[in-house]
Amino acid sequence: MKIQEYTVSKYNFEECMKCTVCTVYCPVLQVNPAYPGPKQAGPDGERLRLKDPYFFNYALKYCMNCKRCEVACPSGVHVADLIQAARIKYSRDVPKLRDRILASTDLMGSLARPFAPVVNGVTGLGITRSVLDATLQIDHRRVFPKYSGRSFEAWLRRRAKEQAAYREQVAYFHGCYVNYNYPALGKDLVKVLNALGVGVQLLDKEQCCGIAYITNGMSDQAAKHARHNLEALRKAVDGKGLKVLTTSSTCTLTLRDEYPNLLGIDNSDVREAVLLATRYIYERLEQGATLHFRPDFRLKVAYHTPCHLERLGWGVFSERLLRMIPGVEFTLLDSACCGIAGTYGFKKENYEASQAIGEALFSQIRDIKPDVVACDCETCKWQIEMSTGFTVRHPISILADALEA
Amino acid sequence: MNTPDTFDVIILGGGITGAGTQRDCAMRGLRTLLIERSDIATGATGRNHGLLHSGARYAVNDAESAAECIKENMILRQIASHCIEETDGLFITLPEDDLGYQKTFVESCRRAGIDAQVIDPDLARRLEPSVNPDLIGAVRVPDGSVDPFRLCAANMLDAKLHGGQVRLHTEVTGFIREGDAITGVHTVNRQTGEKRDFHAPVVVNACGIWGHRMAGLAGVNVGMFPAKGALLIFAHRVNNLVINRCRKPSNADILVPGDTVCIIGTTSTRIPFEECDSVAVTPEEVDLLITEGAKLAPSLSSTRILRAYAGVRPLVSADDDPSGRNISRGIVCLDHEQRDGLKGFVTITGGKLMTYRLMAEIATDTVCRKLGVDKPCTTAVTPLPGSEEKSYEAVAKRIWESPSMAQKAAAARLGTSAERIRSGNRLDDALVCECEEVSVGEIENAVERLDVSTLTDLRRRTRVGMGTCQGEFCACRAAGLLARAHGCTAQARADLQDFIQERWKGNFPIGWGDTLREAEYTQWVYKHVLGL
Amino acid sequence: MRFDTVIIGGGLAGLTAGICLQQEGRSCAIVSTGQNALHFFSGSFESVEAPTPRMSDLFTQAGIAVHYSPGVRLMPLGTFRPAALSLSDVTLAETPKFARKVLIVNFLGYQDFFTTFLADGLEREGMSCRIATLDLPETGQIMSSPSEMRSVQIARVMDRAWEKAVQEVRILLKDEDTVILPQVFGLNDSSVPERVRQAIPARVIFVGTLPPSVPGIRTQQLLKRRFEVLGGTYLSGDEVLQAHLHDGAVHSIVTRNLGSHYLEADHFILASGGFFSKGLKSNPFQVSEPVFGLDVRQAGDRSAWYDPDFKADQPYLQFGVETDEALHPLLGGRPVRNLYAIGSVLGGTRPELGTGAGLALRSAFAAADGILESPVIPNEA
Repeated sequence: MKIQEYTVSKYNFEECMKCTVCTVYCPVLQVNPAYPGPKQAGPDGERLRLKDPYFFNYALKYCMNCKRCEVACPSGVHVADLIQAARIKYSRDVPKLRDRILASTDLMGSLARPFAPVVNGVTGLGITRSVLDATLQIDHRRVFPKYSGRSFEAWLRRRAKEQAAYREQVAYFHGCYVNYNYPALGKDLVKVLNALGVGVQLLDKEQCCGIAYITNGMSDQAAKHARHNLEALRKAVDGKGLKVLTTSSTCTLTLRDEYPNLLGIDNSDVREAVLLATRYIYERLEQGATLHFRPDFRLKVAYHTPCHLERLGWGVFSERLLRMIPGVEFTLLDSACCGIAGTYGFKKENYEASQAIGEALFSQIRDIKPDVVACDCETCKWQIEMSTGFTVRHPISILADALEA
Repeated sequence: MNTPDTFDVIILGGGITGAGTQRDCAMRGLRTLLIERSDIATGATGRNHGLLHSGARYAVNDAESAAECIKENMILRQIASHCIEETDGLFITLPEDDLGYQKTFVESCRRAGIDAQVIDPDLARRLEPSVNPDLIGAVRVPDGSVDPFRLCAANMLDAKLHGGQVRLHTEVTGFIREGDAITGVHTVNRQTGEKRDFHAPVVVNACGIWGHRMAGLAGVNVGMFPAKGALLIFAHRVNNLVINRCRKPSNADILVPGDTVCIIGTTSTRIPFEECDSVAVTPEEVDLLITEGAKLAPSLSSTRILRAYAGVRPLVSADDDPSGRNISRGIVCLDHEQRDGLKGFVTITGGKLMTYRLMAEIATDTVCRKLGVDKPCTTAVTPLPGSEEKSYEAVAKRIWESPSMAQKAAAARLGTSAERIRSGNRLDDALVCECEEVSVGEIENAVERLDVSTLTDLRRRTRVGMGTCQGEFCACRAAGLLARAHGCTAQARADLQDFIQERWKGNFPIGWGDTLREAEYTQWVYKHVLGL
Repeated sequence: MRFDTVIIGGGLAGLTAGICLQQEGRSCAIVSTGQNALHFFSGSFESVEAPTPRMSDLFTQAGIAVHYSPGVRLMPLGTFRPAALSLSDVTLAETPKFARKVLIVNFLGYQDFFTTFLADGLEREGMSCRIATLDLPETGQIMSSPSEMRSVQIARVMDRAWEKAVQEVRILLKDEDTVILPQVFGLNDSSVPERVRQAIPARVIFVGTLPPSVPGIRTQQLLKRRFEVLGGTYLSGDEVLQAHLHDGAVHSIVTRNLGSHYLEADHFILASGGFFSKGLKSNPFQVSEPVFGLDVRQAGDRSAWYDPDFKADQPYLQFGVETDEALHPLLGGRPVRNLYAIGSVLGGTRPELGTGAGLALRSAFAAADGILESPVIPNEA
């Protein structure tokens, strides 16, 4: 290479032109003046932190890692990565019990699931929520996602033989949400894939992708999960030559991008095989596969692009799938953060901010009055349902509903 | 005669030598005036690496300079802590260098009193991950970095606290003579055009390379040899230890981390005196600096460059050698009464940033002798204003308890003087320069206490506009503040133009990649959006 | 994924072309590497002498209020520039002396609006000026963050609290005939500037601030929405890495986000901008066009790229992609027949198209016409 033929810097922070466009699109900055903003927290702060770690600013914890700054940046700076990486590198904050509980989505799930009716009853109670609020500072206005009585894994395992009969196979990284809270989405995916002639397998003991550990300051935990999951992915991808499908945009971003970029764990051998199911299905249809839809299906759908899907740039697949369903009246909502950002909105100190961030989106939904809001993210679903009263469905579920029996 | 325009000593030159000399004279009780035709640190003072030499670089060839350096290095750590970073440095041997030189080098260092430790190349790679991994030898020395602007401003501030007066942007147009004695100077203010005479029994010429011209104006000759040195500033710190080549001093063999950047230099080219006021960096120099720099730290070949600049070293030829071959980098103090029969005129030159305090001490001793004043020098043991406490972390915590980023940065820049910054309300705390975290309060402090009249002056005292955007945003904001402080908007607008031009001068020699992107953006903002 | 046309770059040029094509039923995708130069838009379409009906329609249908009246506009540093077609909140005047007495109003603590420069500029033209400051609790709250008292944050507050600002201005107003306010009105609600104007009993002039430009961002959002309402696909935050050419024509492009999922189209438009937007890349040795490796007009040696005087016309700003008459860019001296280059990636290679916003609009229309005139290739999918 000739001298200065290319210039590079970690997370491209030197490509920053100080144009401040990231600050225009940062949802946190709009509502929380204690947050220094992506430019200050990211590339500006980085130069000072390189001089002396003393310049690490604890207000970086207000970043919810939505990555909208990165989507907006005209210079390709990985602003959110810079901020999260700085937190991992410099923060000496010990996560609170509350944060550890919120982060441990799979642990919570496996503990709560067998007692689902009890847990759902208890976490649903006003008194419990007040107690959680007072003791753990989990906001009392939040409703916890309900736990399902039977896990998705158990459901699919019982159908393993039937699934194995399909000539084509994929593996499914279902994530904590589908497994413990909402197996119906997983079942819908199986229905759609089966309709395409594809059978679904589980990975060899997947764990939570770890995103909640990263954002709650527990990167060591996250790295453990990452290494475990990569082993599971390799068995499926290298061992069996399978694609690994996902339905959660956040899990997908974590598996593909956060592992190498934030945790420094190389996933290059399997990264390309990890795909959102929407992309996989769209590509199958493009290659000539067909789905048969109910002729009487009618649905007014408003589609919300979750932040991490926006970063992945794959919202177009969900959009196109929904648009191709006959009888769907489709509106694309302006791309904006709903405010929940995973566990962020659950924390008492973030509640007001979280709701204010989402307001633009909520009011657009109220204006459109759709039959359902479509969205690929589980936490957006909780937030939008709680804040607007409109039902939120995953595009895969809508697709499944529209299929001919 | 005791009029307001009469002093014990007038010092010409607002570089570090002049500022240091004024401080020393003022601390010994003299009434002092410093005159500078431009701003502080505009010559060689502000146009070097900002290396706090351990002296190791000179150990083999110039034992005397080396010994001076290490002595002053240790003094500056005590008296100028807020201008200094105690980073330490490495002298590395690369495969193409002679490892045998390392032994000579270490022995010479020890003889000069420099703590030079041979370390394992592996340890060097761990201590400084950016270092060329191919190194075959490494020596650790007590190098560091020094901010020359801050050092200069602090010396001048202390002189003022001891009753000294400072006149910047004031040019000496001639000397006032009485017989064979200089008794004062004629001056003109370059901003207002005001002409004014100042009187003193002794005038010290501390004008660096321009000392040649000043001596000529006084009617005496000081043989000097202007040597241009070009340097490059990289946009962030790639290294935290100074990296030097362990070989005979050559081009681009020092990489110094300083504040938020790092600096590679330098070249050395003899230039004519006429070019001293407008030195430009050539593409050949830029290429050489990057190519050689990348041998110290390979990442330099792909790191964004912020700026190119050049300074002129005031090298002095020995008196008995008019040819200039016998050039010394040592300190030269000429009492022109003894040398040329011209009373009341002293030239202090040669030397280097590192030894400015010693130069000042020697010059002040000469001045005192001439004035019949017998007071000891105390500059080696008295901290500069701002350096009363060593840790900026402790300073920031003491002043603000839980300091903001800008307050942390201010404490790192100003040391204890940061307590003078108005803060704690939203107007003063607002950021002007986002790259370097400079608040409105810090700018107002500089305007009030540190003789700021232009934006470029402000840059030297606060780092406003020294960051990645090179003043794109903060220059306008700062210009607004200056216009308010000085009550002159037309001046502020012209000033903004000068500032932007000055930045461009340093940008275009390295105008490619992200720097060219930034330049296009700046063109757009200033021409089409703001209408400058 | 297959489209009729894939457009690389989502700024004024790319969106204009996309809207024109989408209006005619051609399906388009725009690939945009982050946000674009409209965020730094001065509000005036420089080098547009008079708007064509087509330009007017473009803006009207997108809900962008523009007005055309040749004259001068007041710049943020108190200077005057000629201007003709502008966003409606950029007020034009016939001459620099457009008022008798002027009230210049700023928000307390807002450093990016240069009241003293403005007053100085106006006083030089013989107008008398008074500077006043608004201290609203709503904007005061933004100041708790030392770096964020900036145009967009204030504008966000003004979208809901503009009436309070107007109320305060009315109290401040004495016998002035003109009020100058910073351009921080109408970020998401484009009706705000006109409502502010109606509610103040004096002539109201909005003057620009340091970027980002509130009217520019609004323009970008309205154009993007128009494109999407017409059914266009806008891929944000993606980057085109590579193109596949076959037989002198572009077959598909590869993006960072979509990877092995190529974007195919009959036509491609390169609207990737100049240096800032990375439509042109440079290193010490040359300037290049990174996606296709197109022929770029440039001065040979880098010392010829610059004028040491910042104010002078900089040679590097003239560099750009070489094209034939129909805006097909050249690759190895030969035009790529289904590719068009528009906007500032052209640099100064086509002076007849103007510069800046004028260049973006004119070249976008020309490329869209070229595509619409070419026969429709039946879509196999």
